[in-house]
Amino acid sequence: MTTPTQTPDFDALSDEAFRAAVQTFLADHHPRHLRNPAKRLHWDEARDWYLILASHGWLAPSWPRRYGGMGLSASKQLIYVDEFERFGAARLPDHGIILLGPLLIRHGSEEQKSHFLPKILSGEHIWCQGYSEPNAGSDLASLRTEAVLDGEEWVINGQKTWTTLAQDANWIFLLVRTAKGGRKQEGISFLLAPMDSPGITVRPILNIHRHDEFCEVFFDNVRVPKSNLVGEINRGWSMAKALLGFERIFLGSPRQSAHALARLKHLARHLGAWDDPVFRDRYTQLALDLADHNALFETFADRLRRGESLGADVSLLKIHQSELFQRITDTMMEIAAEHAGLLDPIGGDRDLDPAGLFLTARAATIYGGSSEVQRNILAKSVLGLPS
Amino acid sequence: MSIDADRLENIRMIRDSAQAIARRGDVRRARDWRDRLPGFDRAVWRKMGDLGWIGLRVDEADGGSGLGMLEFCALAEELGATLTPEPLVAAAAAVRLLGRNAGSDRLSGDRIVLLAWQERAGSLDPAGGASFAGGRLSGCKRLVPAADGADEFLVTTESGLVLVPRDAAGLTIELLPAQDGGHLATLHFDGVQGELLPGDAGRVLDEAALATAAYLLGVIEGALALTVDYLKTRRQFDVPIGSFQTLQHRAVDLTLQAALTRASVESAAACLDGGAVGAEAQAAVSRAKARASDAAMLVTRQAIQLHGGIGYTDECDVGLYLRKAMVLAPAYGGAALHRRRYAALQSPMDDIVDGVADGP
Repeated sequence: MTTPTQTPDFDALSDEAFRAAVQTFLADHHPRHLRNPAKRLHWDEARDWYLILASHGWLAPSWPRRYGGMGLSASKQLIYVDEFERFGAARLPDHGIILLGPLLIRHGSEEQKSHFLPKILSGEHIWCQGYSEPNAGSDLASLRTEAVLDGEEWVINGQKTWTTLAQDANWIFLLVRTAKGGRKQEGISFLLAPMDSPGITVRPILNIHRHDEFCEVFFDNVRVPKSNLVGEINRGWSMAKALLGFERIFLGSPRQSAHALARLKHLARHLGAWDDPVFRDRYTQLALDLADHNALFETFADRLRRGESLGADVSLLKIHQSELFQRITDTMMEIAAEHAGLLDPIGGDRDLDPAGLFLTARAATIYGGSSEVQRNILAKSVLGLPS
Repeated sequence: MSIDADRLENIRMIRDSAQAIARRGDVRRARDWRDRLPGFDRAVWRKMGDLGWIGLRVDEADGGSGLGMLEFCALAEELGATLTPEPLVAAAAAVRLLGRNAGSDRLSGDRIVLLAWQERAGSLDPAGGASFAGGRLSGCKRLVPAADGADEFLVTTESGLVLVPRDAAGLTIELLPAQDGGHLATLHFDGVQGELLPGDAGRVLDEAALATAAYLLGVIEGALALTVDYLKTRRQFDVPIGSFQTLQHRAVDLTLQAALTRASVESAAACLDGGAVGAEAQAAVSRAKARASDAAMLVTRQAIQLHGGIGYTDECDVGLYLRKAMVLAPAYGGAALHRRRYAALQSPMDDIVDGVADGP
């Protein structure tokens, strides 16, 4: 098996020593100008940081060491993510690292693993994720982009959307319909396609900030080799779904809200609202919600540290975190008064950007399973309420 | 704040032993003792003594069980889930303050002592109300739960503690009926003879506030279990009402509050057991009590609404949970009071928040 970089044995370190190592690594290597970026970075902006992580063997915390990952335990992955978030490290174009890599490691053929994994680590392949479609969002299993086998090739037709950073990617992994009739989840397969394939068209979508963060991707008789199927035909749904195991805890990390609360405090001091008792009671409620969220997050993290798996109730974290994040930015907008309607941060200080953070927060209750879908799932799987 | 396996096993055993008094969800005793003096069962009280609960927080050297707040909170939660009427929190606070003077008869449950600390509603100050001078206690203490069943009161004053037998000359007890069917008493002291004992109630009141938060967690869990069960069985429009999305989402929101309350209470207990004192301990307790008080009122209110008309009747148990929350949400400080105290203390999240604000 290929091991492009010999990584140190992080699991030999204690949790405290590992946390210190992550802090040191970030302080030593993270490009200063990329800290706490106001928007999702494009590949040309993030490339240097990606390659720094890769060259030190720090790019893929969850992958086993024999594939060039860090081979971290769940407990150390929690520390890794926590420290990166606390530092305000720039998020990478990371779909290959977080989503595709682990799926290939579990379900891919030996050829697929040895071909694709090293190219993710080297930055040669930048992946995007083709799951959602215009009529398959929360109801993802209704997806209609289809792939038909024609001799030794799959022929793909259809449209994907909300494809994050597709304009930067040179490969896409996608869920396609390969069988009709029967349960809609059972006719879905997992395919890999180069983005320069004839018939693929990418159209960036401007998000509410007017950033081109995601795209529509159109497939018009796109042909890829039969061998680009990952796992068994018609089993793509359960593969893709099983992928997000304990990683779902990260959607409920307290860091996003902690960061926002710090900005709220900064803003309140700047605007003179900090000593207003009405504001201070609002702030205290938010601070208490964050502290309790942190405690709840730790109870789930403790389960992971004890080697237990997480149940569907981990979604409680995602719901609470995203809604708390929104309530914090709502409070920012309230104290910002007319500044709330201005396009640029107050006085050009990007730490004083209530409107920008408020807009960013809109997405938190939508992506990764909307709050409403999460509540549907919890009602049925945790409370056992009837359909 | 990971808890080791032995400790988890201990906590599980305490929870199991609580089922000997009443099984989770069984509130018949709470219903039976409503509006009936003394409001609780002395035989059950002795059993609690046998189980080591009254002196759970008293050092082993002083005859207690020497257990921590995690254990006490687990027990209080179980008691809350069955709306147990016995005044364990007020008695446990008294014997803990008495320490080596706790005495085997009090720890066994033969003699019931309750803490009388409060000058007025909405206060956390144990010093006011009653004063001790020249060997005599004067003034009054208010809002003492289950006082009619007590054999004596441990009274806090600015100068120290005074132990007052129930039949002491100069003590009159005025009972105010409470929403949960029990009573909150005002104790009037008119030159009651006694002697001063050393002791500072501050820490013990924080522990009582946290235990009350844990009891409220039990109230929340009990009301929620009853309500989710009702959503599954009650049929309207030919379907179980729990199939309606609005009700499902509301039930999930209440479940989230229950989960936050549990995390808040248990992390505060672990914080105290870990040796936290002063502002750190107070902030943890205030956080947990503010959460538990608000969440208990929210969950029990919504439990009534989700039950519909039957929830508004005396025969339906869900109302017992609401009326217990009405008594205990404000006890040892309500949500607003504890939020104020939390804001005045150095917030434990400040380092996280300020750490982020440092920026590049």
